[in-house]
Amino acid sequence: MTLTWLGRSGVYIASLAFVLGAVRQIWVLQNGKQSYARYFAFAGLVGVALSVGVMQFALITHNFSLAFVSENNATFTPLLYSITGMWSALEGSILLWALLLSAYIVFVLFRYRKEAADSVVSWASAVLFIVGAFFTLLMAGPADPFIHNAAKVLQGAGPNALLQDNPLVAIHPPLLYAGFVGFSVPFAFALAMLITGRVQDRWPLELRRWSVLSWGFLTVGIVMGAWWSYQVLGWGGFWGWDPVENAALLPWLTATAYIHSVIVQDRRGLFRVWNLTLAIATFALTILGTFFTRSGVLQSVHAFSSSTLGPILMGFFILTVGTGLALLAWRGDRLRSPVGVDSPFSREGLFVANNILFVGFAIVVLLGTVFPLLYQAINGGQVTVGTPYFATVAAPLSVALLVLMALAPLVSWRTSDRKVLWERLRFTVWVSLLAVMVMLLSGVRKPVVLVAYFLAIAAAGSAFRLLRGTIMSAHRRGESFWSALRGPTTGGMVVHLGVVIMAIGIVTSTSYTTRADVTLARAQSTYVAGQKITFDGFRQVSDSLRTATDLEIVVNNHDRMQPAITTFNGRDGQTVGTPAIDSNPWRDVYLTFDAVGGNGAASGAQVAGNLPAGSVVVGVTVEPLISWLWAGGLIVGLGSALSFVRRRHREEVNPL
Amino acid sequence: MRRRVVFYSSLAALVLVVAFSVFLATRHTVTDATSSPSPLLGKPAPAVKGISLSGTMVNLSSYRGHVVVLNFWASWCPPCKQEAPELSTFAWQQRNGGARVLGVVFNDSVSSAKSFSTYYGSLYPSIAVDTNGSIANSYGVTSPPTTFIINRHGRVVAELLGATTVRQLTAIVNKVTS
Amino acid sequence: MMKFLRSFWLWLAAAVVVIVVAFVVAPSASSTQQRINHLESLVKCPACEDLSVAESNATSAIAVRHEIVLKVKQGESDTAILTSLEDSYGTSILLSPSTSGIGSLLWVLPVVVVIVGAGAYLRLVRRK
Repeated sequence: MTLTWLGRSGVYIASLAFVLGAVRQIWVLQNGKQSYARYFAFAGLVGVALSVGVMQFALITHNFSLAFVSENNATFTPLLYSITGMWSALEGSILLWALLLSAYIVFVLFRYRKEAADSVVSWASAVLFIVGAFFTLLMAGPADPFIHNAAKVLQGAGPNALLQDNPLVAIHPPLLYAGFVGFSVPFAFALAMLITGRVQDRWPLELRRWSVLSWGFLTVGIVMGAWWSYQVLGWGGFWGWDPVENAALLPWLTATAYIHSVIVQDRRGLFRVWNLTLAIATFALTILGTFFTRSGVLQSVHAFSSSTLGPILMGFFILTVGTGLALLAWRGDRLRSPVGVDSPFSREGLFVANNILFVGFAIVVLLGTVFPLLYQAINGGQVTVGTPYFATVAAPLSVALLVLMALAPLVSWRTSDRKVLWERLRFTVWVSLLAVMVMLLSGVRKPVVLVAYFLAIAAAGSAFRLLRGTIMSAHRRGESFWSALRGPTTGGMVVHLGVVIMAIGIVTSTSYTTRADVTLARAQSTYVAGQKITFDGFRQVSDSLRTATDLEIVVNNHDRMQPAITTFNGRDGQTVGTPAIDSNPWRDVYLTFDAVGGNGAASGAQVAGNLPAGSVVVGVTVEPLISWLWAGGLIVGLGSALSFVRRRHREEVNPL
Repeated sequence: MRRRVVFYSSLAALVLVVAFSVFLATRHTVTDATSSPSPLLGKPAPAVKGISLSGTMVNLSSYRGHVVVLNFWASWCPPCKQEAPELSTFAWQQRNGGARVLGVVFNDSVSSAKSFSTYYGSLYPSIAVDTNGSIANSYGVTSPPTTFIINRHGRVVAELLGATTVRQLTAIVNKVTS
Repeated sequence: MMKFLRSFWLWLAAAVVVIVVAFVVAPSASSTQQRINHLESLVKCPACEDLSVAESNATSAIAVRHEIVLKVKQGESDTAILTSLEDSYGTSILLSPSTSGIGSLLWVLPVVVVIVGAGAYLRLVRRK
């Protein structure tokens, strides 16, 4: 019982701290007394950290007095998966969310402690406390991670099979949540600015760094999620336009629009109200995403078990959006910028196009995701909205975005002379055209691929040009190369390069992937898309965690891979297929153990009755350039980090 | 009008968002088994015969003339535990000439299946051993629990994936019988 | 000025040549296998959440794949095949709803978004 009460007290301390903190902030704002906001935040963090500590202790020591532990852990669960077990199920995932949120709140309040009396900071603190209170109160009530097991449980069920066979379980959720949680800060400041009516201060620049940081976490988190799905789900794909995946994509789309249009606000004071709207929308979409993932309203392979949280999360969503929109209605018109965009070929003009594309796409993805619910409500029937729809809509959008990426780094603010633009573009587009010619001559025929490569190379060229220009001018001012590399412009261009690499990876792998199911007897070989696949026998593997039947597959006579069928020990021993992937920069060979012949029913594999015993059916998928996706994602992360780090010599000024 | 663009668009957005949220909040969660489009729909049900857990000989064809609920289950599958009481309750409610429930054990040992069946007080026969998984294969079952509804003429009319409930089964069987 | 004209127009001419060549050598009518692959990507695997039968190896997915191959060999058109699958398995078997009825809303909306977006862009970018 001790663990339960210890864990719960952490939650109560935290929720009390946040509630009292919010109340005090509002009181301070009326009476102008000293705000001790950061101490309340610290208390909140201490409370959540205590609960996390208790949960981790219970998981690592396999203490089954907690129901959560007995459902997500077993005595033989390895250390890594015990730790990650905390976010493998609903209640624990909220604990992780609360931990990251409290840490962010403490960070923000300590960072701005000298301006704690500033009304914007005060109101933002109040909003942050309310958000913190919401998530901690969830754990105090409907999503209690510390429920006590009445009976004495001797062995736990262990984590879900798909959550304990790949180390990325330790990376994707924390990064993703760090991204989601991070957008509470621009949201809080946006509400604060609307309430106080003070938008034209330094806050847009300050917030831009927070937003870039959170965006970086979110992007890398999503890419790591895709990589993880790729490695374990067994179909060789990485994105299924699944409701939970879309739920993470929606805030990312508005966040990307936001970090671009905030640059315009910083430079020219435009789009003030629009940026406030985007900040509110992004945070609201993270709450909506949480709703989709945890309410059970939409079916998904990635969803947590459905719960009573649905209506509560919806209530918070309405509160968030309602407050934001009401404030916008009240204050918005008074805060609009007096100036406008002068020319479509200016950087501001292209950023407007960028925003329209991202927000438009977000609307379409949102509709596509909830459409089955709409259809069922109106018609009573079931309908699926899957990849064919989303991919068809995403294609022209991606083309348009690549065009923008090729043009925007080359145009000036306010207006651009078309001759000058052509002069800057000339070299790049000639190179791109030449590349396309070479591709045509070497047999590439698909128009999608040709267009994509043309635009990708053009976009990369523009990014390099701006990168070189920025570094050279910093050099002339005496900065070292490494110092010049830091900063929003260079960081942004590195991000664009990463995106271009990802785009090439996506287009090439989706257009030229070859799938085949090959039947092989022992020592037999075959070729799939030029890769030699040899079956070298079975292997039974058994340890405390699992029993698996491995297939020894040799790829191209030197890489040994073991696709398997794995049964995880535990009360509810789940059997999953474990793919094996032979990667190199040029292609991945993705192998799955599909079926076994005869009546030798190897643990869990499907039996193909018409095959001789000892033969196997191996699923082979050859995907060219798919590692470029993951490499590109990491480069995007690097670019965000570079963008976030302040340059030693000069802050970004606001020339108007 | 131009001056109050933000005001009117915010209000319009507010109305839309509230309507949207209320709509989502009132959707019921997916707890019933999902009706799945099966290649067997409308076709004659493949043969199911074997020795049950209690030792008797069971054959699907002997149920011709009744609606049959054919349920594939295993002792190691959590949703099967959830639906086991529901299936027995349903079998009991249909005991006077109504639908018949027949189970097939999926990829499991006889001893575990027997203890599961005893623990949940199963009120219907289940075939203990499906050699080579051939019955499951002929029905296209990839994971339990999967339930098929077979009409009086021996044709498959529905496939349900996941744990089912008395309410769901009764609704389908009533529709099939009428 | 002449130099600029030559530069840009030369490039544009080269681009047009490349495009024409690409069209000429592009694969014209899709082969039967491509048709089958395309159809398979439009049909959902009955036992899965959002995988197509092309991507899944579940028994039911394999069965549907066989059915598609059979129907293609029998000479049925794409629309006829998809409609007959819808009739047997219900509307949710298609990964992209048919455009008739409420499903059309799904396709109308992106068009509306494009029009509204373009309008907004033009209006925003011409204030002086």
